[in-house]
Amino acid sequence: MYYFLLYLNFIKINLQSIFEYRKAFWYGQVCMITSYVTDIALIWVLISRFKTINGWGPYEIMFLYALNLCAYSIAGVLLRKPTIALPSMIQSGEFDDILIRPLNPFFYTITREAAMYFSQLTVSAVTLTICIMKLQLTINPASVGMLILVIISGALIQGAIDLFAAIPAFWLIKSDSIKDLLIGDIRSFTRYPISIYNRSVQVFLTLIVPYAFISFYPAQFFLKKNDFIMFHPVFQYLTPAIGIILIVLAYKFWNAGVRHYNSTGS
Amino acid sequence: MAFIEVNNVIKDFKIYKKQKGFTGSVKSLFCSQYDIKRAVDNISFKIDKGELVGYIGPNGAGKSTTIKMMCGILLPTSGNIMVNSRIPYVNRRENAMRMGVVFGQRSQLYWDLPVCETFDLYKKMYRIDEKRFKQNLSFFIELLGMQEFLQRPVRQLSLGQKMRANLAVALLHDPDIVYLDEPTIGLDVVAKNRIRHFIKEINRERAVTLVLTTHDMDDIEQICDRLIMIEKGSILYDGSLKEFKDKYCDGYILTVVFSDESARPNDPRFKVIKEEGPKKTILCSREVINMAEAVTLLVRSHNIVDLSIKEPEIEEVVRKLYEKDSENYPSTIAATGEND
Repeated sequence: MYYFLLYLNFIKINLQSIFEYRKAFWYGQVCMITSYVTDIALIWVLISRFKTINGWGPYEIMFLYALNLCAYSIAGVLLRKPTIALPSMIQSGEFDDILIRPLNPFFYTITREAAMYFSQLTVSAVTLTICIMKLQLTINPASVGMLILVIISGALIQGAIDLFAAIPAFWLIKSDSIKDLLIGDIRSFTRYPISIYNRSVQVFLTLIVPYAFISFYPAQFFLKKNDFIMFHPVFQYLTPAIGIILIVLAYKFWNAGVRHYNSTGS
Repeated sequence: MAFIEVNNVIKDFKIYKKQKGFTGSVKSLFCSQYDIKRAVDNISFKIDKGELVGYIGPNGAGKSTTIKMMCGILLPTSGNIMVNSRIPYVNRRENAMRMGVVFGQRSQLYWDLPVCETFDLYKKMYRIDEKRFKQNLSFFIELLGMQEFLQRPVRQLSLGQKMRANLAVALLHDPDIVYLDEPTIGLDVVAKNRIRHFIKEINRERAVTLVLTTHDMDDIEQICDRLIMIEKGSILYDGSLKEFKDKYCDGYILTVVFSDESARPNDPRFKVIKEEGPKKTILCSREVINMAEAVTLLVRSHNIVDLSIKEPEIEEVVRKLYEKDSENYPSTIAATGEND
């Protein structure tokens, strides 16, 4: 509760900061939306040419994309700014400021860098709604509940990956290369159903960097597909469990990082 | 038991040998090649409640490292620290609740927000009750003269104004102990005086224990009762300011204006430490030449326009001590920056 109130306060402060530069804020939002719309348009051009990719229709692929973007932007609200800021905080010694406060360093870091990704959230929500309508998916309390659960769990997975990409900075000071790899290059695989890729890529995205659990496996449930490649159909229900396990591991990893910082400084 | 006890504290840092590029950074995850640098070497001291201690030393001496260990940011390699019967790096959060810190090089204010909003935030963070918060705030606003800039965004404030606001933030929650790391760095004379006055006042009124690091010896001279001097991780001096002067100030300074610009006393007992045209500042040691003799000698051998004598300030003394040390180890001083 204490952290939540503090979090709201920081959101207020950060919004105030953002609104100090109104024009920059609107430019930023317009650019973001344009970039995502372009992204979607490109995928659309490609998939509407082929009609289906490996049995997935255009709207099904859009659904996959929107699910992923939802998780990505929710994780972004909580964790993107702190994980991006972490290496430079460690490098400049600014992380000291976290440790001189009477707060849990993890929650304080997150709270202090609170951010709102309006445009991502909007684009993903709109795309998701359009896909649900076009695909005429059943809408009842159970399916809506499941969708929310999947999105939140997906956000946990994405958040954990963000953290795993940033935390090595405690040892390496700079961890940009790991971040670019995990959040940039590898994530771009998830635009299409992973069943189109080579087996090793499928295993990698399922067991090593489990992006497939954010959109590919849960999408099977909503779209009533049976495209589990070499894995068991139970995987469509595993997203929440994977999300919780990963975020707990990430938190332990974080604590190890802070302990290392305690003994070495910046 | 003393309020702060530092017992035989050692802090070693591993300096990893860096490698370039992506493969290099992955390699350094596993690589274990490093040198060990001892930043703090077996330091012990005690500080009582309500003391105002100046903690000085040249860059890289280990000041910041010691302060960081007392704050709970860093863990000592060996030895132990107790602050108000807590171990800061074990009971970090409890310790932080009762502690205030100002790092002169960094700000704890929010760039785009008015100062008063920042105070509000820290009020919530430290769970300061409304009444106490208001009392403290009006006291600090008065004492630091903050009324005029309270509503202005931090980015528009001068360095001195920001420092005042930072000091207020550090003291808002009635800490028992406050660490000030170079609180007057980069400030003009007026701003420095204001800060010094405030620090003294807080120490006197509220019996707050203060540990202050600085490179400005006027800070020490004007506000500290006690001086701890550290050099290459070891304590060089710990005692009152007066004793320090008696012990190390064996010289005096002559400022002489010669009528001839190129004139220069060539007696080896005169050490010229500063030259501004015909005006020379000369340092003499009492043991080598007494004051009367020095003046007589100068007046006899040169045409002198003006002459003044003064006891050296602590700044000179400290400079000499630092220099003496860096002569013995010139490379280490040059190579090791301040650790922050």
